[in-house]
Parts: sequence; C-alpha cells; structure tokens
Amino acid sequence: MTAQDENETRVRPRVRLSFVLPLAAFLVLAVIAAVALMATLSGTRNPAQLPSVLIGKSVPKTAVPLLFDATQSLDLTVFAGRPVLVNFFASWCAPCRAEAPALALLSEVLPVIGIAYKDKPVDTHDFLRQFGDPFSAIGVDRDGKLGFAWGVYGVPESYLLAPDGTVLLRHAGPIDRRVLDEVLMPAIKAVQ
Amino acid sequence: MTGQNVTGHNVTGQNVTGQSVVGQNVIWQSVVGQKLSGLGQHFAIRRLLLLTYVLAGMMANVVFLSPPVLAITAEELLADPALELRARDLSKQLRCLVCQNQSIDDSDAELAQDLRREVRTQILAGASDAEVIDLLRGKYGDYVLLQPPVSPGTYLLWAAPVGIIILGVFVVVAARRHQPRVSGGPVGATDLPDPILPDPILPDPILPDPISAGATDKPALTDKDTTRRVSLSARVMTVAMGGLVIGASLGLYLFLGRADLADQPLSVRQAEIDATAAAAATKSAALGKALAAAKAAAKASPKNVETWLQLAMSAAAAGETETEIEALIQAVKLTAGDSAVKSMLAEALSRAADGQITIPARTLIAEALASNPAEPRALYLAGLAAYQDENFAEAIGLWQRLQRLSTPDAPWMAMLERNIADASVAGGLPVPKPVPKPLAKPLAGPDGAAMDAAMDAVGEMSAEDRTAMIENMVSGLATRLATTPDDVEGWRRLARAYEVLGRPAEAARAQIAAADAVPNDISQQITALETLIAIAQDTSFSDDAARLVARLAQMAPDSLELLFFKGHFAKVSGDIDAARIHWQMLLDRLPKDAPIAATLQAQIEKL
Repeated sequence: MTAQDENETRVRPRVRLSFVLPLAAFLVLAVIAAVALMATLSGTRNPAQLPSVLIGKSVPKTAVPLLFDATQSLDLTVFAGRPVLVNFFASWCAPCRAEAPALALLSEVLPVIGIAYKDKPVDTHDFLRQFGDPFSAIGVDRDGKLGFAWGVYGVPESYLLAPDGTVLLRHAGPIDRRVLDEVLMPAIKAVQ
Repeated sequence: MTGQNVTGHNVTGQNVTGQSVVGQNVIWQSVVGQKLSGLGQHFAIRRLLLLTYVLAGMMANVVFLSPPVLAITAEELLADPALELRARDLSKQLRCLVCQNQSIDDSDAELAQDLRREVRTQILAGASDAEVIDLLRGKYGDYVLLQPPVSPGTYLLWAAPVGIIILGVFVVVAARRHQPRVSGGPVGATDLPDPILPDPILPDPILPDPISAGATDKPALTDKDTTRRVSLSARVMTVAMGGLVIGASLGLYLFLGRADLADQPLSVRQAEIDATAAAAATKSAALGKALAAAKAAAKASPKNVETWLQLAMSAAAAGETETEIEALIQAVKLTAGDSAVKSMLAEALSRAADGQITIPARTLIAEALASNPAEPRALYLAGLAAYQDENFAEAIGLWQRLQRLSTPDAPWMAMLERNIADASVAGGLPVPKPVPKPLAKPLAGPDGAAMDAAMDAVGEMSAEDRTAMIENMVSGLATRLATTPDDVEGWRRLARAYEVLGRPAEAARAQIAAADAVPNDISQQITALETLIAIAQDTSFSDDAARLVARLAQMAPDSLELLFFKGHFAKVSGDIDAARIHWQMLLDRLPKDAPIAATLQAQIEKL
C-alpha cells in the first residue's frame, strides 16, 4: 500500500489543476460574455457604434450647397470659436424623426448644422416643416459625397466639433435622452 | 425608399443583433444537447474543454454564414474584365459598415453599393489596390477591413486562438497523464476512451463508468477512497456545469423570449387572413366613400368649420393623415386658433410622425395650453411629449392634472391610468395613488358609457324588453342623481331616457335639473325651456319656467329666444296681452322671409 499512497500524493494536485484551469477559463469567458450581454441589453454598449477616424482631426473641406440658397455653399468656419454640432439627417430616415426634440434642445445650447444626406430638397423641406427646423444652417449632400468624406455610414449621425474645428466625438444613431445627458451635454460643457 | 431605410442606424443595430443571436442560439442548443446526452459520461474535463471552446467560439463571434448571393448589379460592373476582377477581389476584403458581418461584395445595403462604386471609380482612375484600401481605411478606420491588421491593438485578438489551443493541449495532456494511474495500473491507459476527441454525438448513458468499474473490479489494487473522490468530484462538476448552462439558457430565454405566445402556422390562419383582408377592403371602400363625400362638402362650403372638422375625421378614419392635417389647418384658421382644434392638429401631426410629438406639434400644444390650460387633448399630448423626453415626473404631473380635470367616466381615464403607471416604471418613480377626483361622485347607478350603449341598443329589442331595460337603468340613474345633483351629463342622459319612455314631464324635470346644475349655461336653459313647451298644458312647471326665463333674461337680454319664451309662458298663464306684445316684438326683429315669421304671425292672430 505504500506505493499506492505515494502515487496518490503525486496525483492529487494534478487532478485539481486539470479541473481548475478549464473551470477558470470557462468562468472568465462566461463573466465577459455576461457583462457584454448586460451592457448591450441596457444600451450602454452598442456594437453598431463604430469609432470615427476623424476624432481629433479637422473635418474635410467638401463643398455642399445650402438648402435655402443653392448658390452659396456651407461654410463651417463661420462657426469657428465655439463648439458646433453637425447632424447628418434625411427625410427618409425614421430615427431622424425621433431625435428632432433632442436637436431642438441642443440648438438652444450651441449652433446645430444639418446635412441633408442623400435627400431630395423638396422632401427635406417637408421634413423640416413637420418635425421642426433646429438648424442654424443646412447643407445639401445630394449624392453622399460629404458623408463619404466624413466617414458617415448611416443616418442620423452627429459630430461634435471643438471651437478650433476639430472633431471631438461622433455619435451614430439617434440622440436619445441618455446620449444627450450622458454623452453630448458633458462634452459640450467641457469645451464651452 | 425601403432600401435607404436599411442604412438607418437603429435598423442596422437590429439586423446585427438578429444575426448574432441566431448564431448563438445554434451554439447554445448544441451545448444543451451535448450536456443532456453526455450526463452519463463522467469525463468532466472533456465537457469543460468543450464548453470553453464553445464559449471562445461565441466570443470570436462565430456566425454561420449562408452561401453568398450576388449583390452586385449589372450596371456597376466594369467593362474591363481584369479591372472588374480586381474590383471584386477588393470588395471581398472590405466590410459593409451597415451589415457589419458581410463584405461590400455580398451586401445589398446602399452604403455597400456606394463603396463598390467608389472602389471602381478609384480603380478606373488608376489607383493601386493598396491605395484603394488606404483611402477607405482613412474614412472608416481599420474596421472597414474584414481581416484586421496586426497592430498593438489587435495582438490579443490574433493571439487568443493560439493561446486557447495551447491551454487546451496543456489541460488534455495533464488529464491524460493522471487518469490511468487513478483507475488502477493493470487496466492501463489504452483501455480508456481518448479524452482528446470529444464524442458528444454518441453518448451512452448506460455505459458502465470506466473509472468506477475499474475500481470495483480491482478492489485490491487501488485505493477505493481516492478513486471515488475523484470520480465523484468529476461527476459533481459535470452536473454543475450542465446545470449552469441549462439554467443560464433557461434564464436568458425567460428574460428575452415569449413562452406565452402560441404557434400560429400560416397554413392554419389562411382563412382568417383572407377574411380579415376582405373585411379591411370593405371597410376601406366605405371609408373612402365617406372621405370623398366629406371632401366635396368641404369644397362646397370652405367657410364652414364643421365641414373641415368632418373632413379631418373622415380622413383620420381612412388613414389619410395628409388630408387630415390640411383640413385641420383650415379649421384652425377659421376658428382663429381655437385651442381644441389646435390640439387636434398637434395630435394629427404626431400621428403622421409615428406617434412622435414633433416640434411643430409641441408649439401648437403650448399655444393651446396658454389659451386654455384645461384643454384635455393638449394636456394629454404635453404629457406624452414629456414622456418622450424621458421627463417622466413632468409627464405624470400633466396626466394627473388631466385626471383631476376630467369626469370619472371620460373615455381617456383608463389610458391615463396605464400611462401614469408606465411612466412611473420607466422613470423608476413610485407609482402614484389614483388622484382624488373632485368631480368624482359615488357611482350608485349605471355608468355613462353603459347607459349610452344601452340607448343605442334599444332599437334592436322588442318593445317590452326595451321598456323594461330602460326603466331599470333610469331608476338607477335617477337614484344616483338624487345624491349628485351637479352631474349635468347625468341629468341630460336621464332626460333622453324619459323621452324614449314617452314621459315628457319627467324629461322636462330632468332638463330643468340640468339647467339648475349649470345656471350660467345659456343653451341648457333654452333646451330645458323647449322641453317645457312640449308640455305647455301642465301648469305645475310655471315656477321653474319663470326661474329659467329670468336667468335667460339676465344672461341674454337681447336674444330672440327670450322674446319667444316670454310670449309663450305669458300665453300659458293666460296673460294674452303680454304674449301678444312679446311675440310682436319678436316678429318685428325677425327677417320678413324667415320661415318661422309666418307661423308666428298666425299664432299672434289666434291670440
């Protein structure tokens, strides 16, 4: 029995390790999965949100005409010296309707510039009449050239520009109460 | 414009989630299946490894892709086959940022089309593959590449699979080394199934447990206690892990799924669907006819508010929101901005916006509430706007104000109760107790809605049933009104019921009670006096008549109705001279061609 006892003392720690290791790996992965799932369900994590490459850079200078005066082109340098929100929207975009009240609130805090993305001007006018016009200026990006230059991959998309004209943050998707209170407002306060 | 809508971000989010959920479900089901069938086997390590791999697979976002369908359209193709080949090749490396798990070559999304076009434009302009890739990376970042580049940020991503394999090999080797020794030397390692090859498809729960079998067969050669402990802990682990996975799956399903919804196979529902479609077609035809009539009426008399409101109602019923809005805008103009009509317009605008209270609607609501703070529709919509701003406390406050202002039988009370509860939950606020309603009275008799429904239904009943039912309701209502004499609507309903029952004296008495409840309401005084004319011979009402006429004289001394009633009641009380004087005055003020003038002339001559 002495041999057996020695055998046992040598084996037992290994038994534990071979259980503990996969168990630990399993639990770590399970916890990560659970945290990610909870964050997605609660809305704080959105896998559809992509980081913008424009963060910290100046926005591209692609010229687009103004909605209310097609002979003029949109000039963002007019707003230099204060933070600006640039909002890509379209009349055919349902979430853009949902964020209209949020944009109206924001327009009381800073200039909001609208970019009508791939939208017919006549439809844009209808949209503004029905959902309100919170914009200080509206550019017409009929073929999406400006959107491509900015890396827009859907509407609505909003870019917060710092007073020096660089991009502070990009929010893809409608601005809801949470985004307004927890993301945009603190960022605007920080630069104002 | 459905295609374009796909690029909307929230639609996209749902698509992406939908895809990954499907993938995960498949994995979860296979895990659960394996656990269930594998319970009889005791190789806990194998199970754990499998689970770890499965979870690692989930983390790496394994999605079973269906064979790709060609998304590219003929007009996008380049004429030069060599360039086209390059374009296709590049497209396969680029991610569609809307669908996120498809290349732009596979995707039908509008953004993918744009990017394909951009790739081809660049190629035609002579750009190299690397230049095209760099251009798109400059716009959208590394995420646009389906194969992520090796960089400090992605080291972990690239190393993870290798790390997991090394970890797995280590665990398996460790397990393989010790197991034969535990189960007893003479049996030997070769008799055991290979733990490296998980074999979940062929489980055999009845298979004798090799470890414990070895232990019982060779009791003299092994330490029973140790073996039992190891095999017991392995079993406990297997069961615990299996239970954990099943429990977690069940929990997720109960949280996200809808177990309460029954199957609704299309084949079974075909008849029902056809019937519904036919009914809808009939209804929409009727509604269309009503709408056409209302349009014609509005066109014929464009200065009449009623016709515009009628058109708005018909258009709303037919779902023609644009027409409804146009009609209501006309009505607002004609009523010089009446708060009720403005609120209706605000509601129509919001309905057109899928229930979103839009900025123009908010302006209208604010204007309506400024001129009439008790306008119920505007109050309701203001609450809804606050709710949509996630300003739940304000929403509850506004809806509670509306509750206090409304009669307890107002049709919106149940909805308000629900909305307030919703807002409390959404805002994490305590659910407020139902507001004490100053207008609420103890409801001893039938409520208003039931009474009205009954009044509508009486036409379809036999005369006896009808009378019995109305008598029953009327006595209940009359009892209740005796304790709540301020309930004007109740008195009016009672009066209508008495008229149906052919009891004009009691109808008149109810109308007088209604007039007494609202002594400042001119039209109610007139209505009550009119019912008295129908029972002119009954002199027991002369005091009531005098009281109502006096009130009318005070509130509308110049009205034609006053002259008529004064003349009529003078005649009833026998004062023919006074009657003649009043009616003559009335006749002088009526236009000569008024239809009533001739009748009145005849009456005067009869006196």
